Amino acid sequence: MKLIELKDVYKIYNEGMENEVRALDGVSLSIDRGEFVAVVGASGSGKSTLMNILGCLDIPTYGEYYLDGEDVSELSNRELAKIRNKDVGFVFQGYNLITELKAIENVELPLIYQGISGSKRYDMAMEALERVAMGDRADHRPAEMSGGQQQRVAIARAIATKAPIIMADEPTGALDSRTGAHVLEILHGLHEEGTTIILITHDSKIASTAERIVKISDGKIIMDCPREEASAL
Amino acid sequence: MNLRQSFKMALKSIWGKKARSVLTMLGIIIGVAAVVIMVSIVQGSNKQMQEYYESMGTNKIEVYAYQWNGKDVSDELYDYCLGLSDLVMGVTPQGYYWAQNGIKYGTTTTNNMEYGSPQVYLGSDQYAVCNNFTLEKGRDISYLDVQNYNQVIVLGARVAEYLFPYRDPIGETVNIDGHKFEVIGVYAAKDPDSAWSMDNMAVVPYSLNRLLNKSVTFDSFIVKAVSKEATTKAITMLDSFLSALIDSNNGYYSVYSQNEWMESDQSYTDMLSLVVGGIAGISLLVGGIGIMNIMLVTVTERTREIGIRMAIGASRASIILQFLIEAAVICAVGGILGLAVSVLGTLVAGKLIMDMVLTPGVGMTIGAVGFSVVLGIVFGLYPAIKASSMQPVEALRAD
Repeated sequence: MKLIELKDVYKIYNEGMENEVRALDGVSLSIDRGEFVAVVGASGSGKSTLMNILGCLDIPTYGEYYLDGEDVSELSNRELAKIRNKDVGFVFQGYNLITELKAIENVELPLIYQGISGSKRYDMAMEALERVAMGDRADHRPAEMSGGQQQRVAIARAIATKAPIIMADEPTGALDSRTGAHVLEILHGLHEEGTTIILITHDSKIASTAERIVKISDGKIIMDCPREEASAL
Repeated sequence: MNLRQSFKMALKSIWGKKARSVLTMLGIIIGVAAVVIMVSIVQGSNKQMQEYYESMGTNKIEVYAYQWNGKDVSDELYDYCLGLSDLVMGVTPQGYYWAQNGIKYGTTTTNNMEYGSPQVYLGSDQYAVCNNFTLEKGRDISYLDVQNYNQVIVLGARVAEYLFPYRDPIGETVNIDGHKFEVIGVYAAKDPDSAWSMDNMAVVPYSLNRLLNKSVTFDSFIVKAVSKEATTKAITMLDSFLSALIDSNNGYYSVYSQNEWMESDQSYTDMLSLVVGGIAGISLLVGGIGIMNIMLVTVTERTREIGIRMAIGASRASIILQFLIEAAVICAVGGILGLAVSVLGTLVAGKLIMDMVLTPGVGMTIGAVGFSVVLGIVFGLYPAIKASSMQPVEALRAD
């Protein structure tokens, strides 16, 4: 069974009106467990919408989405929240850390929503922070860290629950090339441990580090092939 | 997510915006303080009034009956009152003598007393029971004093103090308009602080009515009932007895007790508390709207944070809970601070207005804080629901 399976998914804004926008226009896509997939496309191509739907942050207008065999469109708000909590870890371009909270508290947050408490939660969060080499910054607030450090904390937050899927939306977009490379390195490390990685980017150089490249334009998938074939094109 | 965590989060976010939180609380603080202080003052003045009634004596029935065709009904009435034996603790005729020259001891006369000469009452051996006096020293009027027309007198505390500042009055002789009375006892002070004190009085046996007023008739009797219920019952019985006894074309009667006054006073106070509390409650309501306003601002400001929380797995319920708890905690803290202010304010107001130590009642205290928490929840609900109903992706898009 495929881990992720989209069947003919549409996301349409202002449907039927003059300013109708088809952010996703009949997308079918399946991803296996343990893959490292890069979704590439220009801005406005619909790649972020795709990620939002894959991550259950948004719901498709039409179409079916099976996550681990389960029909996601049938799920309640509460169950969707549970999926976001347990199955998917997000890494955003703008880090999206909560500024009032320390690094460790940010990483603990998904664990709090899971109902894990006390020292077990602290240990799990600390382990995740150490995994991205941010253990010594646990008590720092986002404002006291560089962009690269913040992104690493955000990755720690995404992996703290040991989610099987990491979705990263332009994770290196706000970083210089050196720190960006470091973040990619961490993602590859996670992939080697078996995590499914979906990387959204507009940068074909970054995309070329993935095993498989999906190219999207105007809400449609225009290319879907392994890296080797993509680079040949 | 458990409640403890939610509380921690709420406290953290309140603490993170101290100035705003305090200003928001101010509305609640002022509201709670206004309600508690106002109601305390009303209740305090009522308590003062009730204490005054208590000192005059509760369950006290005043009976008045008069026939102007010359028929004397006083003996029949007195006998009937005494016949209520199971219901009553004491019965006394209540007569007055206006002492023209006051009560004199040597050259001292009570006519020179600052707030006027004392009232001289004519009463039975049960006068003290009926009027809630207790003996400080000496002895009270006895049945034999009445029977034997003994010229004895029991002084109220204020009179005793005035006539005998330095000596024991017991056994001394005072003079009332030429009649000599031996002082046999002194009542304990029960109203020492007021100028027109209930202690400014004296009692002589009622049989001396003949000597002092040249009369044997009494219009007025005091019946002290054993309980509130007995009072009601005795009033009903006296009413029907007197309606049969007194020919309404040639006479008049009345039966009433302080209880009725107390009750009507009490219900008046309850109403006043409600009105005053209600008016002050409006300021509490305004405080609550302030909470709603600030929570709405907070929701808007923190849209992105809400989005992040949803993205990492916060359910709608936990977002609602977070905002509700935040509003409730602000209100609860405001309520407690408001209470502290109102205890202080009530003490000061009690001292200034009524010269008494006034503190808010326990029930009201708990009620005020409880109410402000409920207020927080009620006014926090709309913003909380608003926060939770956003789609995560939309919330994340906000800056």
